[in-house]
Amino acid sequence: MLETTSVGSFPKPDYLVKARNQLAKGEISQEKLKELELQAIKEVILMQEEVGLDILVHGEMERGDMTTYFAENWEGFTISSPVRSYGNRYYRKPVVVGPVRRPKPVTVEYYKYAQSLTKKPVKGMMTGPYTMCDWSFNEYYPNREALTLAFADVIHQEAVDLEKAGAKYIQIDEPAISTRPEEIDLVIEAMRIVTLGLKAKTISHLCYGDFRTIYPKILELPVDILDMEFANSNFENLEIFEKPKFTKMISLGVVDAHTHKIEEKETVKNNLKKALRVFEPEKVLVDPDCGLKTRTPEEAKAKLKVIVEAVREVKDELGLK
Amino acid sequence: MLKTTVVGNYPKISSDKNAPNLRNALNLKDQGKITAEKLEGIFQETIKRVIKEQEEAGVDIITDGQIRWDDLVTPLAKNIDGVEIGGLIRFFDNNVYYRRPIIKSKVSFKNYSTVDQFKFAQAHAKKPVKAVLPGPFTLAKLALDQHYNNIDKLTLDLAEILNQEAKELEKAGAKFIQLDEPSLCHNSEKIELAIKAIEKTFDNINCKKVLYLYFGNVKSLFPRILDSSVDVIGIDVVSKPENLNVILDNNFAKELILGCLDARNTKIETEQELFDLFEKVTKKIPPEKIYISPSCGLEFLPHEKAVLKLKKMVEAVKNFQREFLFE
Repeated sequence: MLETTSVGSFPKPDYLVKARNQLAKGEISQEKLKELELQAIKEVILMQEEVGLDILVHGEMERGDMTTYFAENWEGFTISSPVRSYGNRYYRKPVVVGPVRRPKPVTVEYYKYAQSLTKKPVKGMMTGPYTMCDWSFNEYYPNREALTLAFADVIHQEAVDLEKAGAKYIQIDEPAISTRPEEIDLVIEAMRIVTLGLKAKTISHLCYGDFRTIYPKILELPVDILDMEFANSNFENLEIFEKPKFTKMISLGVVDAHTHKIEEKETVKNNLKKALRVFEPEKVLVDPDCGLKTRTPEEAKAKLKVIVEAVREVKDELGLK
Repeated sequence: MLKTTVVGNYPKISSDKNAPNLRNALNLKDQGKITAEKLEGIFQETIKRVIKEQEEAGVDIITDGQIRWDDLVTPLAKNIDGVEIGGLIRFFDNNVYYRRPIIKSKVSFKNYSTVDQFKFAQAHAKKPVKAVLPGPFTLAKLALDQHYNNIDKLTLDLAEILNQEAKELEKAGAKFIQLDEPSLCHNSEKIELAIKAIEKTFDNINCKKVLYLYFGNVKSLFPRILDSSVDVIGIDVVSKPENLNVILDNNFAKELILGCLDARNTKIETEQELFDLFEKVTKKIPPEKIYISPSCGLEFLPHEKAVLKLKKMVEAVKNFQREFLFE
């Protein structure tokens, strides 16, 4: 119980950021970039082992945006020129121009490489069908439902391949889930297609949403573990989950992934104890609120360390094993 | 004859590599590598480019693209006493975020937010530039109220501040002032408050008063909203296609902005799709009282698609008039 993990993304080391720019300008080859991606993955696997995390991630070193990455590797897409999301932040959006197809596995090779470096379980990591739909422009399918279900099919294929490759944890992220609460049945239906027949433990990360609008309905989402943020709301979100009782496993976000400030161990411990009054310890995993890619490598490591130490001490103090 | 307009925001960066790059400039300013003056110059060049693009596409009533705005509310929020700028929060059902204003104490006017911007834009435009403001109800609804704990009082206090802004905009030469009220679509039970607030905002305003409603169903707002003193009501019929029936089934005695090209998707509408819409609406409302527009601000689109949509819109209106309205 109270296993520690992270959500998925880690900051890319400077040499990798440089290499990605060089590839974009045609100054290095795809092979050379891949070498550096694998090197960066190795480094974060070692860092996670050093910190003492229980369930590891490969850090998404090969990925830029979480939807565009898949669009670039599947058929049926073009990629748009940059669009602004807030402030001065822009991203390229997938544009669905034809039937969505998966010519070959996208994530399996990187998963296998990461897993070969450690005895601890490494998560298989994908973006969910509803989020793919919500964050893409749609020029082909007649409506959002058709597009979401088309994504669900290819993501299911990828999940099956990850499981065949040995993944014991498969994560399908749905940060867009609370955007349109009236579409939650579609989110659930699509996830059912994705996780159908899987024996691995399935996780879905839902972030920065107003959970009030989708609880307790999200308990119907066909995954084993829901990964949600609490540090971001200063743990005020806890009260939403008091009634009715939370029936799944929860991966509890206890540090803010979007600030430089490293949380105090005592703060994390106190918040974790607060959370354990709402969720049963056997059902809880502990992680940061969100992916860590906007932090520096030092900040990311420090945040993970404080989580591991806080959990260790809370387990001691509460007499949990 | 049918006219064309836009709702408000526009892509800040261009697909033209030679165009001034505001995104780059903001990064460089952050890193201390360029001066504030240099950045200001790029803002101005960008606004001029955006005005030119709308005019070249043939749009009749344009905006300055809200190039200086990060979101709908911050430009006003930072110029109102009693308001702090809070954290990022999702803007309606989009994958864009705004900074939530936090109401700390009674709100009062601090500075004008949009007047200089309007003057600059109109000075560099041949077509009329529409001044756009967040409506008082939406501004109140999108804020976190830590003082009034009363949406009515907050909304009406904000309306008074917006009225000051509107009066100054009119003095500066604005011929159209638009209030965006997307929140009203999700809170139709507050229609009386909203109308009171809109009237207050437009008190003693004599230019064209526009109310734009997007991202939601407008059915419950009608016919009551037709009693308000606004001259023009704009309706997004893309997000909620059933809004078209609201237009057709009511005695729409005001001017209409028909928000009918999807500003949130890159798929370009066909001429036939647009003609079908124009035909239905022109049967109920005289064409000279209609403005055709994208459904909401164009900043959701990549730049080249935004330009394409505007061109398509103007072309469709031109062809429709020629074929069906004999003008």
